[in-house]
Amino acid sequence: METTDDKAVMRARDFWASLVLMALSVFFLWRTSEIPFLDARQGGVSGVHWYDSAAIVPLGIFLCMLVLSGILMAISIRAGGAKNALSSVGLGWNAAEALRFGTLAVIFLSYIAALVPRVDFIIASGLLITALIYGYHAGKPARMKLAALVVAAAGIAAMTMHYPQSEWDSHGDDWVTLALWAGLTVWMLWNNRDDRVLRIIPWIAVCTPLILVCAMAFGFRQNVPNRGGLIFSQIEYHYYVTLRPLWRD
Amino acid sequence: MDFVFSQLAGFGDAFADLVLDPLTYLYLVTSVFLGITFGALPGLTATLAVTILTGFFGNKIPLDYSLIALLGAYVGAIYGGSYPSIVLNIPGTAASAATAMDGHPLAKAGRGGEALGLTTTASFIGTLIGTVALLIFVWVLLLISKNIASPEKALLALFGILLSGTLMSSDLVVKGWIAGLIGLAMAMVGLDPLLSEPRYTFGWSYMLSGFQVVPVLMGAFAVPQVIEGLRRAEIGKMAQLNDRIVPNLAAVRRYLPTITRSGVIGTGVGALPGVGEDVAGWVSYGVGKSVSREGKKFGKGSLEGLLSAETANNACIGGALIPLLVLGIPGSPPAAALMGALKINNVIPGPTIDPAIILRVVAILVLASFTMFLMGLFTARVFIRILRIPQTLFLPVVMVLTTIGSFSVGGGINDLYLMLGVGFVAYFMNMLAFPIAPLVIGVILGGLFDETFRRSLFLADGDLSVFASRPGAAILLALNVALILSQIPVVKRTFGRLRGRTA
Repeated sequence: METTDDKAVMRARDFWASLVLMALSVFFLWRTSEIPFLDARQGGVSGVHWYDSAAIVPLGIFLCMLVLSGILMAISIRAGGAKNALSSVGLGWNAAEALRFGTLAVIFLSYIAALVPRVDFIIASGLLITALIYGYHAGKPARMKLAALVVAAAGIAAMTMHYPQSEWDSHGDDWVTLALWAGLTVWMLWNNRDDRVLRIIPWIAVCTPLILVCAMAFGFRQNVPNRGGLIFSQIEYHYYVTLRPLWRD
Repeated sequence: MDFVFSQLAGFGDAFADLVLDPLTYLYLVTSVFLGITFGALPGLTATLAVTILTGFFGNKIPLDYSLIALLGAYVGAIYGGSYPSIVLNIPGTAASAATAMDGHPLAKAGRGGEALGLTTTASFIGTLIGTVALLIFVWVLLLISKNIASPEKALLALFGILLSGTLMSSDLVVKGWIAGLIGLAMAMVGLDPLLSEPRYTFGWSYMLSGFQVVPVLMGAFAVPQVIEGLRRAEIGKMAQLNDRIVPNLAAVRRYLPTITRSGVIGTGVGALPGVGEDVAGWVSYGVGKSVSREGKKFGKGSLEGLLSAETANNACIGGALIPLLVLGIPGSPPAAALMGALKINNVIPGPTIDPAIILRVVAILVLASFTMFLMGLFTARVFIRILRIPQTLFLPVVMVLTTIGSFSVGGGINDLYLMLGVGFVAYFMNMLAFPIAPLVIGVILGGLFDETFRRSLFLADGDLSVFASRPGAAILLALNVALILSQIPVVKRTFGRLRGRTA
């Protein structure tokens, strides 16, 4: 059942949401204006009428979005959303939730933008799994910060050492990430010797990406991230050179 | 009569092909098991199960087998949601929220095994009812849909987005419509389908081909679940199961009219574009409560209440596939994921779809429901054990699964950026109570709407009356207008006053 407080938070959030949506609608309406619309001529030839222009549908979409965000804002203001918008009620986020989301955002951004393209997938994913389970299983802020710090450090190292795509096969960042993963695992196990859940993390962190990447590459014969990675390049080499000839011959 | 016999013969052939192929069982047992597991684990959903398997099987094995894997997971996941609903009073999926109303009180009363046995039977019968409806109506609608032209297609796509926005919104309807518009806007990115004019590409060549469906689905359904679920959560107190998990056949016979009614309601709701199994469960539960002589017992451990919800949500599966296969408009969010799998296999659902695919889908659904029934009865205690796994242990694995699944579909690293971007947007949309289903429906139907809307205008030289010039188009236009007007407060009040006067 939705309480009055929940409703107040929601209407205040609606105020911010409608502002963002209005800004986006106006921005994209401006971008839409660059698409040929009314009797545009290209190379001296009459090209586009309003009804077959590529702008007609987007124009309708963003105009509708502008109108609906205006309606949302009106509903929010009438329900007191604008008044609460700048208070803590309006944001509906406390410091603990902001920290949780912020650290998760850092971890995911570092993983997707920095680690997956540059670092061996097994190492990058092993670090991600270890950091996420250790950081968030017990809900302790200190662990969340440590997890985010370790993954961010690996991400920054990968970006600074091998930023251009031509260097993505290099292994320097793989070693750094592997060291950080091993360090986090040892730290975690050393400081939580009695925690049964944490003891199975290394197994999950190693087995999951290893099985997945091998199934994808050799079972489904699909592309996998960073084929030249430190561990996967060895697996691939031995699969084709050592193992495959055994049943091929 | 010939029609019925030819249908049955076609289905018989497809079923025999399926049953005689040993690989069928490998894919079916694995996918139904995975589906039930996904449904049973709170935090994972049926849509997520189908989406993740689309990333894995979508274009990597022949379509015949990937359909087995995806439909098996779909059927299993909708059923699997009933486990935590009954044992923990936490719905495993939104589809089984209504199941918890009567399932958990039954479990607390020491009848948990009976409740699980009945939900298994109800889900099995529900899936079969939906499948029979699919077999019959898909052909009737296919015959009709051959006369559908661009104006009708455009209006139908718009109706699907509007209806999904209206029914899937838990807060204000306007938020559902905005979510649908955001999805439509995302579908506008890339080269336009008629003139190849680049739109909103910002000079990035990856954007020229538009947003790919699978990374958008992964981002919309997986990333917010992972972000939301990574928090400390105590596993709730499990109700003890002291009795055996067997189907109570006497209860099934007694409540056969309820089961049939719920199956029909579930199929009907499923056939509505973009409306999912959760709505089917609640609508059937609400109808059951109001028409049943035992209505007052609903919510206090009523077997009829349990059957109403659980039959309908599984019957919804067959219903949701009707508009998908006939018109290319997904009937539910998992069906949207299924459409993504068909698209990456270059199968265009709609009037031109190969009839063999439809018959195979029907045969797979029948076999999947049998598999689910047997697994539900004989391995239920395995799934109850799985409920003890904390989400902080399996959600990081889900993140890795979505990453590699998204990457391998085709676009590489750029698809991962798209997945993460959509994921963050979807997380904030969830937080602000904007429904995600209309966004996904918008992304999927946006291309169809854009192309058919402009083609209609082009052929009519800009004459807008083209959208009312044919009977089908006029009816659809009237439905769209009525749907919008029905949500406007002034119109609602006027109709309320008129109803008051006539009463």
